[in-house]
Amino acid sequence: MEEAKVQRNFPVKPKLKSKPRTPKKTPESKYWSSFKTQQIPDLISVPSLTFSPTAPHSFAAAHSASLTLYSSQTLSPTATISSFSDAVSCASFRSDALLLAASDLSGLVQVFDTRSRTRLRRLRSHTRPVRFVHFPVLDKLHLISAGDDALVKYWDVAEEAPVAEFLGHKDYVRCGDSSPVNSDVFITGSYDHVVKLWDVRVRDSKSSVQVNHGAPVEDAIFLPSGGMVATAGGNSIKLWDLIGGGRLLFSMESHNKTVTSICVGRIGKDFGAESNQFRIMSVGLDGYFKVFDYGSFKVTHSMRFPAPLLSVAYSPDCSTRVIGSSNGLIYASKRKVKSSEEEKESESSSFWRVAPVERTEKRLLRPSHFRYFHRGQGEKPSAGDYLVMKPKKAKLAEHDKLLNKFEHAEALVSVLESKNPGNVLAVMEELVARKKLLKCVSNLGVEKLELLLVFLHKYCTVPRYSSLLMGLAKKVLEMRADDIRASQTLKRHVRNLKRSVEEEIRVQQSLQEIQGIISPLLKIAGR
Amino acid sequence: MISGGLNYVSSAPAFSNDGKRFLVCSGTTVSVFSTATGSLVSSLQGHTGPVTAVVVVPTTASLLCYCWTASIDGTIRQWNYSIPECVKILDLRVPIFSLVVPSVLFTREENDAKSSPNVIAYVSVENRDAQDKRPKPRFGQIRKCNLTNFHTVSNLILRETELPESLTISPSGKFMGIKDKRKLQIWKVPKMDSNSAVSKKITLHHTKTFTVLAFHPSERIVAAGDVTGRILIWRGFGAHKFLNSNGLVNAGSTDKEDKPGVRENDDAESCTTWHWHSSGVRHLSFSSDGAYLYSGGMEGVLVLWHLDTGNKKTLPRIGSPLVYFVDSPDSSLSLLSCADNQIHILKMPSMDIIRSISGIKLFTQLPVCLSSRVAFDCASGLVAVQTENYRIQFYSLFADRGVYEVQVCERNHQPVDEVTLVVSLVELSVDGTMMGTVEVKLPEDGIGGLVCLKFWDLDDNKRFSVSTLIYEPHRDAHISAVAFHPTRHMAVSSSYGGDFKIWVCNEEIQQKGQMLQNTGWMCHAVGSYKNKAMRAVAFSADGSVLAVAADTVITLWDPYNNVLVAVIGETPMPISSLVFAGRSDYLLSVSNGSKPQLSVWSMSKLAASWSYRLQIEAVSSAIDWSYFAVLALLPEMNNRTFKGDGLILLFNVTDPVPVTYWSVTKAKGGGLTFLKGDPSEASVIDGKPSQTLLAYINGDREYVIFHPYGKEACELSITRQDDLTFEETVQSGYTSIYGELPKFDLKRNMASSISSAASERPWETIFSGSSHSLPPLTKLCSEFLESLLEKRTKTIE
Repeated sequence: MEEAKVQRNFPVKPKLKSKPRTPKKTPESKYWSSFKTQQIPDLISVPSLTFSPTAPHSFAAAHSASLTLYSSQTLSPTATISSFSDAVSCASFRSDALLLAASDLSGLVQVFDTRSRTRLRRLRSHTRPVRFVHFPVLDKLHLISAGDDALVKYWDVAEEAPVAEFLGHKDYVRCGDSSPVNSDVFITGSYDHVVKLWDVRVRDSKSSVQVNHGAPVEDAIFLPSGGMVATAGGNSIKLWDLIGGGRLLFSMESHNKTVTSICVGRIGKDFGAESNQFRIMSVGLDGYFKVFDYGSFKVTHSMRFPAPLLSVAYSPDCSTRVIGSSNGLIYASKRKVKSSEEEKESESSSFWRVAPVERTEKRLLRPSHFRYFHRGQGEKPSAGDYLVMKPKKAKLAEHDKLLNKFEHAEALVSVLESKNPGNVLAVMEELVARKKLLKCVSNLGVEKLELLLVFLHKYCTVPRYSSLLMGLAKKVLEMRADDIRASQTLKRHVRNLKRSVEEEIRVQQSLQEIQGIISPLLKIAGR
Repeated sequence: MISGGLNYVSSAPAFSNDGKRFLVCSGTTVSVFSTATGSLVSSLQGHTGPVTAVVVVPTTASLLCYCWTASIDGTIRQWNYSIPECVKILDLRVPIFSLVVPSVLFTREENDAKSSPNVIAYVSVENRDAQDKRPKPRFGQIRKCNLTNFHTVSNLILRETELPESLTISPSGKFMGIKDKRKLQIWKVPKMDSNSAVSKKITLHHTKTFTVLAFHPSERIVAAGDVTGRILIWRGFGAHKFLNSNGLVNAGSTDKEDKPGVRENDDAESCTTWHWHSSGVRHLSFSSDGAYLYSGGMEGVLVLWHLDTGNKKTLPRIGSPLVYFVDSPDSSLSLLSCADNQIHILKMPSMDIIRSISGIKLFTQLPVCLSSRVAFDCASGLVAVQTENYRIQFYSLFADRGVYEVQVCERNHQPVDEVTLVVSLVELSVDGTMMGTVEVKLPEDGIGGLVCLKFWDLDDNKRFSVSTLIYEPHRDAHISAVAFHPTRHMAVSSSYGGDFKIWVCNEEIQQKGQMLQNTGWMCHAVGSYKNKAMRAVAFSADGSVLAVAADTVITLWDPYNNVLVAVIGETPMPISSLVFAGRSDYLLSVSNGSKPQLSVWSMSKLAASWSYRLQIEAVSSAIDWSYFAVLALLPEMNNRTFKGDGLILLFNVTDPVPVTYWSVTKAKGGGLTFLKGDPSEASVIDGKPSQTLLAYINGDREYVIFHPYGKEACELSITRQDDLTFEETVQSGYTSIYGELPKFDLKRNMASSISSAASERPWETIFSGSSHSLPPLTKLCSEFLESLLEKRTKTIE
C-alpha cells in the first residue's frame, strides 16, 4: 500500500536555465584556467619574455628600447634597463641568473649584472639586427646569438669575442634553443623554413641535423628530454625526433594565424593523472593561447586574449605565466595556491620553527563563563551513538512566506527589492496562477511602481523573460497611466523603457535582415 | 472479468468494534480494510445498487462482527463481516439514502433495562411513487422500520424533504437530526421504541443553508456547519420541549431573556458561531470525550476546535476537500475521507497521517480547450491519471489499488482555488519506461501563459523522475499530442500551432557507461505541413513511419530523416486521433465534430479502406493482432435500444463488420486499451501465457477488464452479426456478454463459494461489483431464460 504522505509546501522557483551542451571541463583545463590573469599595461610591444631560472623567478620583458624586470610574486616592475640604442629584441638569463644578456636591433648584444643592472660586456659583431640571444643551459661561459644577417655566433662572454660562426641559414634567423642535456648542442630556426642543429665541437659550419618546417620558423625549443624539438611557424607547431634523425612526429595545426612563440611548462599539481607532466604552450597572432599535450598529441586547453600575442613564458615553479601582446600589454597570470598547500609549503620550509606547546590541562568551565552555556553543542557523534535527527526545516524566502500568507503585493515588492530577476519572474508567474498579478500592480504605491518600472526597463527585453514582461509592461502602462503622468521620475523610467524597447526592435529588424540573407543560402546548401 | 476503480468516499466509513478493521462503502460492495496494513481484507458483495450507509453493531464480544448496510437498491442487509456473509435481507423497495440505528448505541445497562427486543432503524428514503400534486414535490422521506421483525417500513413519516437527506444520530443514540435547507430538525428518540412510538421534535433556524450537523456525545449540544463556512453550536437544545415532557423541569432554561445568539422561538439555551472556514463546511464531528470538535471543508484543512475556549489546531495541506472523519472506538486512530478518493488513517492525538488508501483519482474539471485522457501502460497494467493537485497517479488495474504518485508541477494546490495550472497531457511509452507530460499555465488577462513539456524516466526505484524540462516547446501554441517511438528513445510532440517536433534522448552518452548522468532529450527535427494545425501523431508498430494528422489530411514521415513520405486523406472534419492497427499496414483515424468519422486507411495502397460515421471517444489497437477496438458514443435516440450510452466495437481491420460489441454506460470521457494479460490471471483462464485483455475505463473512472475474443464470444458474435436490427441487438447484447460468463464463472466460483442472487439485468451491470463472483450457472440459466422470454413478449407487442 502507499506510504503516508502529506503535501509538501513548495516554494516558488525560478525557471531552470538550460545547461551548456559543451562537455564539462577536464581537470587539466580546470588547472589552466585556475590562473588568474591580470594586465600589466603601458608598454609598446613585447617581443620577448624570459623567466629567471632561479627562485624567486623574476621575469624580464623586452619592450621598445628597454628591458624591464618584474617580480613574479607581485607582478610589479622592480627595475628597468634602458641603455639600448634600438628596440630590444631578445633577452636571456644565465643558468644561475646572475647575468642577463639582451640583444637589440642595432646588432649589439649586451650582458648585464642582474642584481646591479650594470653593463658588463658589449658583444658587437653582428652587422644587422640581432633577433636571438641565448645562454646555453649547462654552460656559464658562452653565449649564442643570431640575427638578420643569417649568421649564428658562439661567443666567449668574458673575452667579448665570437668563438665560432655558423653559416648555413639562407634567411633571417629568429629563434633557437640550447639542448638541456648537452652543453655543446643548440638549434636555430630561420625564415628559410629550416631548423638546424649545431654542435660547437664541429667547426666546419655544417649542421648535424636539419629539418624543414615548411614555413618561416618563428620559434624553436628543445623539449625537456633533449631528444625532441618543437618548432613553430606559420599556423602550425611541429614535433621532431632528433635522435631518429629529424623525423616529423606530429604537426599541430589548431591556431588560425601565425604561431609566434612557444614554451614548455609543467603542470604543478601533486595529484591527478596529469601531475608534473610537461606541456607545450603556444601563442599566436590570432590571440589564442593553447596548451598542447605532446604525449597524447592533443590540445588540452585553449583560451583567447583580445590582442595578437607575441611571446609566452612560464615560470619553472609553475606559479606564473606571462604572455606578451602586440598592443603593449602583458597578460600575467598567477595560479591561486590553496591555503592548505601553502601551509604545507611554509611548514616544510620553516623546519626551524618551534612548534607551539600544546596546552594539556583543560580549563574547567564555570557558569561565569559565556562558553559554559554552549558546552557540548559542537560535540561530534562517535561511531556507536544513536542519532536523533532533527526534522529538516525548509528555508523559505521572504516572498514565499508572504505568498503563504496571501500577502501578494508585499511579496511582489519584497522580491523586486531582492534584485534576482529569476525569482521575480517566479513570483510573477505564481501571482498569475493565482490571478492576482494585475490587482497587485494596480495597488502598488508610487515608489513601489518605480521599482517595478526599473525592473521592467532592465529585463523586459531579455529573451528569457520577455514573453511575460512585455505583456506586463503594456498592462502596467495602461493601468497606471495617470500616476505615471503625475510623477516626473516615473516619466523618466518610462522614457528609459521606451528606449530599450526601441533598441530591441532595431536588433530584431537587423536579425531579420540577417535571416533573410542566410535562408536562401541554407536552401541552396540543403539541396 | 476484473472490475474496479470504485469510489471509496461516497459515504462515511465505519470502524469495526476492535478497531482493527474498517468498512468502506465502495460502489455496490462494502470493502473491509485492515487498519494495520491498509490492505483489503474482504468485501461484502450482494447489493445491486450503490451502498449508502454502513452501521457497525457495537458489542463487547469481539466475536460478533455484525453490521447493517443500506443501499439504493432498496434493501437493508445484515452481515457478519468477519466471515463475510450476508445474514439477513430486508427489502424496503424504495431507494435508501441514509440509515441510523439508535438502539445499537444505547449503553448496555439501558439495553438490559429495556425489554423491547425490536431493533428500530430510521431511514431516509426517496419515494418517487407518491402522488404529489404540490408545486414543490417532496421525494425525500424520513421513515422508521423495524429490523428485527422484518416487517416493511412503517407508515409513519417523520418528515418529508425535497431530496433525501442524510440522517445524523447522536453518539448516545438519544437524538437524531437532519438538515433541511436553513433549518435543523432534531428528534428525540423515544426510550421504548416501537413502530408506533411518536418522537418529539424541535427545529432550529439559521439564515444560511446548512451543510452538516453533529451531536455532542454526552451533553445536549448540536453543531452545524453552513455553506459560508460558519459553524454554529447550540447548547442545551430542546431544554423546553424534551426535558419538560420528561418531567424534569429546569427553571433556568425556560427564561426567554437569557438565550444569547438563539433565534426567536428556537428551543436552545445559547448559540455561538465560529467562522474560520472560507467555504462550505463539509464535515463536523465531536471527539468521543466531547471536549473537541473536528471540522473540515473545501479547503482541505482539518480543524480541531476546543469546545470550551474555541481555540483551534489545524492539519493543513491534505490537498483535497474533506468529506468524512470517523474516530475509532478507542480514539487512537481515525479515518479521513477526502474528495479525491483517498482515505487517510490518522494517528490520533498528534494527527499524523500514517497510511493512505487511495482509489483511482476522479476527473478534474478542465477548461474547454484542453483534453484529459488517461494513459495506459499496457505491459504492466497501469493507468496514469492526472489528479487535481498537479500529480500523476499510477493505478494498477489488476490489483485495483494506487501504486504511487509523482508530482508533475511543484506548486501548492488549494482545492478552493480557480484552476489556473493543469496537467493537460500524459503519455507513456509502449514499454512503460518513459513518460511525457504537458502542463499548461493559463494566462491572466493575456499575460503569463506557459506550456511546458516534460520527459520522465524510470529511476532505480521504478518510479518516474524528470529527465528533461522544455519550456514552450512550440512557442506559445498548445501541444495537442505526444507519442513515443515503440523501440527507440524518440518522441514526437505536435501542436495546434502547425508544427511537430521530434525529440531524441542521447543514447550514445548512456551507452558509453561512465557518464550516465545528464541524458537529456533534444529536439532532433521540426516539421510542418502547410501550417495546418496538427492534432494527432502516431508511430507505426516498427517505428519506421510517423503519421501526423494535419487538420483533415494525414501526413506520413520518415522520423529518422524527417522526410515527408506521403500525404493521404482527407476527412470531412479535423482528425483528432490516429492509431496504427497493430502490425498490420492499416492506419485508423478518428475525427469528431459535426460530421464524425472513423476511417481505416491502407498504408500499402495509401487510400481509404473503409469508414464509419460514428462519434468515437477512444480507440485502441492490439499490439500484435490486426484487431482494434473503438468506444463509440451513441446518439441520444438510441438510448432505449442499447442499455447505456456507449458501445465498444471490436473490428478486424480488413473487415468493416464488427467482430463483436458490448454496450457500456458512462462512455463520455472513457478510455480503452488492450492490455497484456496478467500472468496470474492467464493461467487460470485459458492456460495460454500471453492473453490479450481489453480494458475499458468509463467517465467515472470505473473500469473493467475482459477478454475481447474468447472462443465462445467469437462464435456467438459471428452468428448474430447478419443484420443490425435493433430488436436483435438487445438479445445479442445478452448473448455477447453471456458468451463470456461461463469461462470466468466456473473457475471463480470454485475459488469463492459466495452465493448471491444474479443481478436482474446483467447487461446493465457490467460494472457492478457482483461480477467479481458471478452466480452459478443454475441460477443464471433461469435468469437468462426469463430475460429472453421477456424480450420476446416485447417483440411480439
